[in-house]
Amino acid sequence: MEIELLHRPAYAVARVKLAQGETIVAEAGAMMTMDTHVDMETSAAKSKDQGMLGGLMSGLKRMVAGESFFQNKFTATSAPGEVMLTPTLQGDMETHTLDGSNGLMLQSAAYVCSALGVDVDASWGGARSFFGGEGLIMLKCTGSGPLAFSSFGGIRKIQVDGSYIVDTGHIVAFEDTLKFNVHRFGGGWKAFILGGEGLVCTFKGTGTLWIQTRTSEGFGEALGPLLPMRS
Amino acid sequence: MNVEIRNRPDYASLHVFMDEGEQVVTESGAMMGMDPGLKMETNMKGGLLGAAKRALGGESVFLNTYTSTGAAQRLDLAPSAPGDIVEVDISAQPVMVQRGGYLAMTPGVTLDAKWAGAKSFFAGEALVMLRGHGEGKLWICSYGAIEEIEVSGTYIVDTSHIVAFQESLTYTLRKVGGLKSLFLSGEGLVCEFRGTGKLWVQTRNAPNLASFLHPFRTVRKND
Repeated sequence: MEIELLHRPAYAVARVKLAQGETIVAEAGAMMTMDTHVDMETSAAKSKDQGMLGGLMSGLKRMVAGESFFQNKFTATSAPGEVMLTPTLQGDMETHTLDGSNGLMLQSAAYVCSALGVDVDASWGGARSFFGGEGLIMLKCTGSGPLAFSSFGGIRKIQVDGSYIVDTGHIVAFEDTLKFNVHRFGGGWKAFILGGEGLVCTFKGTGTLWIQTRTSEGFGEALGPLLPMRS
Repeated sequence: MNVEIRNRPDYASLHVFMDEGEQVVTESGAMMGMDPGLKMETNMKGGLLGAAKRALGGESVFLNTYTSTGAAQRLDLAPSAPGDIVEVDISAQPVMVQRGGYLAMTPGVTLDAKWAGAKSFFAGEALVMLRGHGEGKLWICSYGAIEEIEVSGTYIVDTSHIVAFQESLTYTLRKVGGLKSLFLSGEGLVCEFRGTGKLWVQTRNAPNLASFLHPFRTVRKND
């Protein structure tokens, strides 16, 4: 499987080349184009042997994490095939390959697609520490194989060695070798209430961190009041 | 006539440099800047019927024609949505353009509406598409970047991502996956193109942006 990113950075799209028999799992609604011999299957389950109840649980967990209940699996059947996948909003994309050792923490809205060997877990216990933040829910990706994720705005890859502070709304993904702590921005209550920075996350250790140059919430809040009222 | 597309792909703009007597026809409201020497005329190209057909295709009734009165006079055009612009030569093959996907054309191009069939209605798309035919060039625009695809055989595209395609391609509407997928996959219906020709797709779609923004709208208070 090969994931190539096109049209970066404003309107990135992932071109996934599948060998015969290979499968890519994608967020519902992400398909832009595909070859006619690529089959799509919709399911809530992570794998076939999970059963109906297991599938229901996987779907519910994804929904709690802000992902869609159902996912689509694209498989190249009679020959190698191609699927192009896009995120919903404007912005860049990145790919990352898991090698079975370190996992990747991914902001739930950033998930686009992953290989079958990647396990995407929305029920990760540590997520709770993020709930207090800006509605930020993290998915834990483990296993092995490539995955692709998107950002709102541009994406910046930061090699953390020591410590680094990021506004929670700007976090896209980080390697789980990094320890993190979500807290109020320094400067006391005045800065917290009036500084407009809200909660920040301090990362410690060594690992890669991806941040986005805009936040979708900020964009929504800028445009929302200009649109006609809804009832 | 010299044409440049700049600021691609996020905020593409079209810059046309025309010598005396040369003309460009644009969608109304597309002019961003121009040489004061250019003469602009607003008319219903193609008469009342042509205008009515364009209106059905989601474009304006009136078109603007810019005529150069000197050497290398410049016209700057900008589409309304953030995205890309692509030049399409329609002399060899007429092109079908999706609603809102047209920016400008040379005077030899005729743009009228073509009934896309009831099938397009069920796909949640416009009933009518624009058909550019004749001699010359057409500039199409998108929301998001434009990916050009050379179809040879068959190819599947999500209906909301279609910008334009050559008429040598035929298409049918179909579902992907099983019956469950039709309602639950978020993919809805797709277009299956057949034949040999070029197809232009946009890497984002405006309805998705609109549904994202919807919850941010202020809630009307009932009193």
